[in-house]
Amino acid sequence: MAHTSVTPGVPDAEEALAFERRRPDKWRRMWQQNKYLWLLFLPCLIYYLIFRYAPMFGLVITFKDYNLFRGVWASDWVGFKYYRMFLENPDFLLLMKNTFVLGVMNLAFGFPAPIILALLLNEVRKAAFKRFVQTVSYLPHFISNVIVASMVIMFLSPTGGLINEMIVALGFEPINFMNEPGLFRGIYVLSEIWQHIGWETIIYLAALTAVDPQLYEAASIDGASRMRKLWHVTLPGISFAIVITLILNIGSVLEIGFEKVFLMQNPAIYETADIISTYVYRVGMEQGNFSYGAAIDLFMGIISLIFIYTANFISRRVSETSIW
Amino acid sequence: MKKSLALVLSTVMAISLLAACSSNGNNGNNGNAGASPTATADGGQDGAPESKTLTALLDNNPTFPYNADWPIWTWLKEKTGVTLEVQTPSGKLGESLNLVVASKTMPDLMYMPNRRESNKFGQDGALVDIMEHIDSMPNLKKWMEQYPEEAKAALSHDGKMYMFPNQGFGETNRMIWLYREDVFAKEGLAQPKTYDELYEALKTLKAKYPDSYPLSIRYGQIPDEMNTNMTVNFGTGEGAYFDFDAKEYRYGPIEDNYKAMVAMWKKFYDEGLIPPDFLSLQTKQWQDMVSTGQAFVTVDYISRVDFFNNAMRKENPEYNMQFMAPPAGVPGGKQQNPYFHYMEGGLTVASTSKNIEDVMGYMDFFYSEEGRTMTSWGVEGETYVKEGDTNKFKPEFTDVTEMRKQTGLQTSGTYTWIDYDAHLSLFSEDLRNAYTEAAKYDPPAMQPRPAFTESENEVISLTGQAIKKHRDESFAKFITGSRSLDEWDQYVEEIKNLGVDKLLETYKTAYDRMQGVELK
Repeated sequence: MAHTSVTPGVPDAEEALAFERRRPDKWRRMWQQNKYLWLLFLPCLIYYLIFRYAPMFGLVITFKDYNLFRGVWASDWVGFKYYRMFLENPDFLLLMKNTFVLGVMNLAFGFPAPIILALLLNEVRKAAFKRFVQTVSYLPHFISNVIVASMVIMFLSPTGGLINEMIVALGFEPINFMNEPGLFRGIYVLSEIWQHIGWETIIYLAALTAVDPQLYEAASIDGASRMRKLWHVTLPGISFAIVITLILNIGSVLEIGFEKVFLMQNPAIYETADIISTYVYRVGMEQGNFSYGAAIDLFMGIISLIFIYTANFISRRVSETSIW
Repeated sequence: MKKSLALVLSTVMAISLLAACSSNGNNGNNGNAGASPTATADGGQDGAPESKTLTALLDNNPTFPYNADWPIWTWLKEKTGVTLEVQTPSGKLGESLNLVVASKTMPDLMYMPNRRESNKFGQDGALVDIMEHIDSMPNLKKWMEQYPEEAKAALSHDGKMYMFPNQGFGETNRMIWLYREDVFAKEGLAQPKTYDELYEALKTLKAKYPDSYPLSIRYGQIPDEMNTNMTVNFGTGEGAYFDFDAKEYRYGPIEDNYKAMVAMWKKFYDEGLIPPDFLSLQTKQWQDMVSTGQAFVTVDYISRVDFFNNAMRKENPEYNMQFMAPPAGVPGGKQQNPYFHYMEGGLTVASTSKNIEDVMGYMDFFYSEEGRTMTSWGVEGETYVKEGDTNKFKPEFTDVTEMRKQTGLQTSGTYTWIDYDAHLSLFSEDLRNAYTEAAKYDPPAMQPRPAFTESENEVISLTGQAIKKHRDESFAKFITGSRSLDEWDQYVEEIKNLGVDKLLETYKTAYDRMQGVELK
């Protein structure tokens, strides 16, 4: 790096040099030692500054009556109008509840599923079978939500749907799955697990390869059964990965993909299937109200932040694993 | 016809002279440049229009994606001198519109999907008020005298026109009842005139074909359209609607007729005459049911007549899907279909455009008889021939989609005022017949579509949504039986508590304001 003087034009070069040496000494050393790492980090830093931090100033539109043509600055201030609008909406509590319950259920069942699959795969001896299962379970991850929602509805249809054909063949009455408010959450969570279980095992399988084989040998010598080894060697070995993913997932518990819920819902199951994002879509469609949509998003973002912060705090206290 | 054309032309000439005199600056003579080749009063040489380039953002339909080589662009250039430099949305049209508006890179012309959007952008200051330039558009001015309703529908709440009005093309949006004529004939069933007769017919069919659901609709896919169809049959509305007899706004879903409709559909549901999952039925499932004889009656877009017949007659020559007159819901009620044959989208002009006068001159051409014929039929000798008074496409054009794909006619941004006979002439006899029949069951008038102010829009999107959600949810519950119809009065109370009066008041205010607006 070129030598740049902080005080250009100062005749006494020695004094300037001395000044420079005193202060940025530490930083210079850091740069000297890690310059390639810093260079590698640079694109990421720029990305975050431009695409993550800069747009945050746009949040100011949640306090304005945003006029697309006049731009952010020329739009009129409206204070907390859009926040009040959201909180005073008659469905507010129901929407919060539905979003929260669906998110928590998805976490409670969707989170352990890939861990269990990863542990099972880890015990499989035949590499070919293991690879086969892995590939097959990845596949649904690449199917678009539109197709998945459509498949779910068709499979569950009481008029010629596969599942109901089976139910009828067994001698039971067909079930009108998509008409039952009580069944929606279960169907949604199961379809989420089916869709993402394979993909999410990747991180755990990676963590499992890092477990020291000597520990297994030592456990075998001590006479540990397979279950014992699983409990005392494997699980502690990947506990770090588990805790980190858990914290991250708790942070995104309210961020339920809009698309799939929207495509799966119908008026008969609104009481469980109407969540905040689908509400925003319905209201936004009517008017294209960016300020209102952004206000709701910011509100949800703050709640998510509280969640992730709390989860991290607890984890740091209890297990000494944390993301910061 | 000849006479009116002469009249148009003389008006064009007179007004373009005026326009040329009154407007200062270098755009003065553009008013007539696009109007007609005979208006050479002060234009270029021998009526050859001055060549110009305008920019445009048009929609892109996957069936006939934009093509710069379409003959329509050459024809338009010959008449108006204008070459459009077209951009199409990279993703969804709405997003592209937001983007060009927010980044202040608006092209001269922009296609917008509906009036709500154009009015909103207009209020924001992004669009030109076309009425301000009406004096340089003699054809449009005359057209508005001919189609005052269509013109009024294009106005915003304060009497400004941000989108060019249209007429004729909306016909494709018609929705009708369809039935399997062959099956009805085989079972000795007549076309039902009322819902009670329909119920009897469906029951007979269910008895003969126990595995079928004789009536199947795509309720879950197009709920708004289906609600409108069902309620119009019962002489009510799916939401706030204008009652032409009482001349007032009413809220349909709390009326007795609406209750009668719900009760009827509940009966259909309970007796297995409609699929139990009609709320979530996918389009594919519905298509399969209707084409494989698991459903015999349906409600959908009018073009489905050909859609099903063309697909099914190859393997089943008997298959005969035909127009069915809409059954009347209540005793003594009218048999009518909803008024869907209008089109919401259209072209708008950017307020930042430097070529506003050119754009207006260009667009004015579309409202001339010549423009109408050209944008409907193309060019005589090239795409169509005259047979007496009627036009006919040349024999190489056999189907509307193909015709549009090859010529670019009636693709985004190439039409406003259409002679729908052009499409009709390419349809099958069944579909043509459906159009003739359908016109007999039109409601007295189109539902007024008043433009709302921003605060009114807020009421409609918030209060309106809350009410609509409760309506939809209750409709589903009443029909599937998870709520008893005995609780109807309670339901009416609930809906009212959500703010129906406020909603109706909003519609009324907007409507009254629109009535007060004069077309200048």
